[in-house]
Amino acid sequence: MSVGDVAVRATGVWKRYGVGLTQVDALAGVSADFGKGRFTAIMGPSGSGKSTLLHCLAGLDKPSDGKVFLGDVDLTTLPEKQLTHLRRDRIGFVFQAFNLVPTLSALENITLPLDLAGRKPDQDWLTTVVDTVGLMDRLAHKPSELSGGQQQRVACARALVSRPDVVFADEPTGNLDSRSSGDVLDFLHRSVREFNQTVVMVTHDPTAASYADRVLFLADGQLRSELVDPTAESVLDAMKQLESRHDTADELAG
Amino acid sequence: MFKLGLRSVLAHRLRFVLCTLAVTLGVAFAGGAMVFTDTLSSALKKNFAVSTADITVTPASPIETGTDRPATFQIELVDRIAAVPGVAAAVPQLLVGNVQILGPDGKPLESYGLTSFGAAWPRDPGAAPFKLVDGTAPWSSDQLALDESTASRAGYHVGDQVRIVTPTRAVTATLTATTTPAQAGAAAGAPLVSFDGATAQLLLLGRPGWTSITVSLEPGSDPNAVSKAIADTIGDSVKVRTAKQVATDGENDLDNTFGGFGTVLLLFAGLALFVGGFLIVNTFAMVVAQRSRELAMLRAIGASRGQITGTVLAESVIIGFVGATLGLLVGVGVASGIRFGYELLDLRIPTASLQVTPTTIIACYLIGIGVTVAAAAPAARRAGKLPPVAAMRDDVHVPERSLLVRLVIGAFMLLMAVLFFGIGVGAGGLPGAVLITLGTGTAVLAVVMLNPLISRYVVRALMYPFGRKAPVTLGRRNAERNPRRTSATASALMISVGLISGLLVIGASVKASIDKSLVDALGTAEILITNDGTPSFSTEVGDRTAKIPGVQAVQRVRQQSGEVGTTNVQVTGVSDGTLAGPVTTAFDAGSPAALAAGQAILPRNLAKTLKLTVGKPFELKTANGTHRLTVGGVLAPNRQLNAIVVSLPTYATVGGSPSDNLLYVEVAKGNQVAQVRTGILDQLRKDYPTIEVRDQEAYAAVAREPVNGVLVAVGFLLAMAILIALLGIVNTLALGVVERTREIGLLRAIGMDRPQLSRMLRVESIAITLLGALLGLAIGVAFAVAVQSAMVDDGLAVRDIPVLQLLIAVALAIVFGVLAAVWPSRRAARLDVLQAIASE
Repeated sequence: MSVGDVAVRATGVWKRYGVGLTQVDALAGVSADFGKGRFTAIMGPSGSGKSTLLHCLAGLDKPSDGKVFLGDVDLTTLPEKQLTHLRRDRIGFVFQAFNLVPTLSALENITLPLDLAGRKPDQDWLTTVVDTVGLMDRLAHKPSELSGGQQQRVACARALVSRPDVVFADEPTGNLDSRSSGDVLDFLHRSVREFNQTVVMVTHDPTAASYADRVLFLADGQLRSELVDPTAESVLDAMKQLESRHDTADELAG
Repeated sequence: MFKLGLRSVLAHRLRFVLCTLAVTLGVAFAGGAMVFTDTLSSALKKNFAVSTADITVTPASPIETGTDRPATFQIELVDRIAAVPGVAAAVPQLLVGNVQILGPDGKPLESYGLTSFGAAWPRDPGAAPFKLVDGTAPWSSDQLALDESTASRAGYHVGDQVRIVTPTRAVTATLTATTTPAQAGAAAGAPLVSFDGATAQLLLLGRPGWTSITVSLEPGSDPNAVSKAIADTIGDSVKVRTAKQVATDGENDLDNTFGGFGTVLLLFAGLALFVGGFLIVNTFAMVVAQRSRELAMLRAIGASRGQITGTVLAESVIIGFVGATLGLLVGVGVASGIRFGYELLDLRIPTASLQVTPTTIIACYLIGIGVTVAAAAPAARRAGKLPPVAAMRDDVHVPERSLLVRLVIGAFMLLMAVLFFGIGVGAGGLPGAVLITLGTGTAVLAVVMLNPLISRYVVRALMYPFGRKAPVTLGRRNAERNPRRTSATASALMISVGLISGLLVIGASVKASIDKSLVDALGTAEILITNDGTPSFSTEVGDRTAKIPGVQAVQRVRQQSGEVGTTNVQVTGVSDGTLAGPVTTAFDAGSPAALAAGQAILPRNLAKTLKLTVGKPFELKTANGTHRLTVGGVLAPNRQLNAIVVSLPTYATVGGSPSDNLLYVEVAKGNQVAQVRTGILDQLRKDYPTIEVRDQEAYAAVAREPVNGVLVAVGFLLAMAILIALLGIVNTLALGVVERTREIGLLRAIGMDRPQLSRMLRVESIAITLLGALLGLAIGVAFAVAVQSAMVDDGLAVRDIPVLQLLIAVALAIVFGVLAAVWPSRRAARLDVLQAIASE
């Protein structure tokens, strides 16, 4: 993979919390490339550092050591204001819950990043995105009038509307039933296939991970393995392996 | 449950800071008022509320002794009282509050608002209101005594020449003695000049007379019996009081004097607590909403409704207690500060240790805790209604009473308010104004009730000009999203702004009315002469002015107070030519000629009040008794002659003393007014340094001055109320930031920068501020306009709406709104994005 094909690159990223005896390494030297137009899932047991990695990749958190590049921009040295504007213009977000501003309608929520940037939305693109998430008839509704699945689809549309370099999704289906999950994941998958978007998603659900092109497995703050073109079964196997190794390691340590 | 409440307060102490501050401010005013008045009156009572005379006899007159023109009686009365069995001695006293003491530089001494008194040196030092400190008693017309503290402030020593201006003349005399107050009364603590008896009568009254008689008893006599005997002998033209009664009256006088000041402070404390109440209501509503899940959990594990309500009320008791304690401390501090100020002035107002009575402490705690609990009660009640299942649900809403109830109550109150306004304007006069005030109070409550129903639309309309950029839209929606909270916050400001704008309009109307009535009433007199300090001055001023080149004529106006029936009136004596020129008059009935016939002329409004018409006789009670007069004419309402007008000879027969209050000077044709004015000043300044010689314009400006003073004083107090309302806005915004932490985190994550975040909060703040300010403006202006319409005939003839000032007030409100958002924005900007998103 050449540099031009990489959307986000992490090199030797460490994240430490606390000092001395209470020091914990949430990330212990993670290096990874996330290709353009690719759907990457990050998996791992709870406490493996997968969310911390996502936050560092997205410029929401600063690594204690190492570098994170979005294209050729080093996020670790960027001042707060530029980082904010970079998030607004070049990154899309989908969180597990509480993704929408309750006072704004679905449409207003979708265009919020553009409104904050003072830009006009590209009408064709907006229509395409809204159409793809299947929300044409719900645009005037407030979030409280939408189901959980609809809310997450609005969040997905918002993440895509500014044509970001990367969309980061943090357990986007964590709060949804299986049908709604399917809708959301389908949409993320299509955005990669049809619109050539780049998506990085953290999940603990093997089925969700199976929608990705590639799965990275994380344990104890380190990359342990990866799967290309995963299926739910292969992901589950890999997870089991990871956990048994994890348990053995614990026993050895104990 | 109390323990739970305490824990909750400690855990959320930051959220209660402003809440506590609001209670503290209100209680501080109340406590300060009580401590200060208690301290002063106790000190004064301790030192002065004693009478050295066994019995005191004063004229039975509506006119207070010790004022500018006191009621007097003649020396014969002393002999008659001395003859009453049981009386050992009767001593006449003379005490008049109408002198001015000039400093060594020839300028009047500053007396800090206190009246300066003149007195006759007592024949019997035992019963005098003051006693000798140093020197020898003044004995002739060129000797005088001063009270010790005035002498030392002015730097006078025994043997110095001191210049005094009295209503009859200005004199220079040698200081032969200093004195100190000896008993209660108006003169205690005030500057006091004393002369020998004859000189005092000549200088202070211009005629023989005494203001009181002090009686000492033969050993073994019963004061009550002798006092009754005196009353029986003399009749009801005098008031006979024993030492005990004098002391009681003195205490009551003191209580009245300082009670007035205390009442103002208490009124303001009430306003502060009322406005602060909105802040407390909001805080508890928001805290309960935030903790609804926790409270529902308590219900789920077995807490009863009453216990949940109890927890929240316990929190309010704690807040109230802390606020009241701090408020009491601040109040005591304020009171001691005021006392210290008085001490610095060295006015010989005696000081006692600060009086923090149990009553004050209990009252402060009752007020502080009572207001807090009352304001927290609705939130506590709602908390009790939370269903236990809410603990398991994601979207918890604290149950709220339907807005329909508010609509019905609010609409009813609004109807009542309109009714009050209608009747009030129709009735007119003071009762009308009272009705309108009542109506305004009802209207304010109605708007407070209806506000949540209309606030959404009003905010949307008001914020339209601010555009539709994302932070603006978000801020506006935040102001719309919780109508009750926005309305309660705005209502506090509405009340303050309403009072201010009402005051501005009434103040401007009063000034405009004064201007118009002066222009209408001031006729041909180019120059007006008055005195600064005491209202009346020597007739010599008029005599000498008349001889100055360029002066065509001098018309004199003299004033005293009196009573017709139970109505207090002013009695004005005028020179014969006054009604023909210097004062413009329009007669409804009768003519100026009636004055020469010894008849009285009344302005229309006074005639209406007294139910008098031309030709009708009436009885006028003045300083020297009751007189029968006939109405000879009725005038159109006239600011310059708003009194019972009589000729100067008639004025003298009804007890008026020969000194002038106002001179109208007509300038002869061909002379410059300014030049003549300078001529008068040159002639009179040396002997009468306090005389003011003004042209018509300057005179009008002086007449307006007191209005400005009142406006500034009341405005200052109201500014404090606005400050509390602003605290309320800061409170709402800050608690809103806490409540919407996750939302702010989300906005920051998807690219809202800090300036945009600040702008969002600023817009919310401005929306609330504008809502409150404009509603307040509407109510205030409506109130003032209605009062003006009701009082057209009672001194408010002209309506003046000071548009510019009102606009400035609204502009200031916006500025304050921006300022109120500063601290909450800073807090919001400091939130860590990741923590904010993860927060519950």
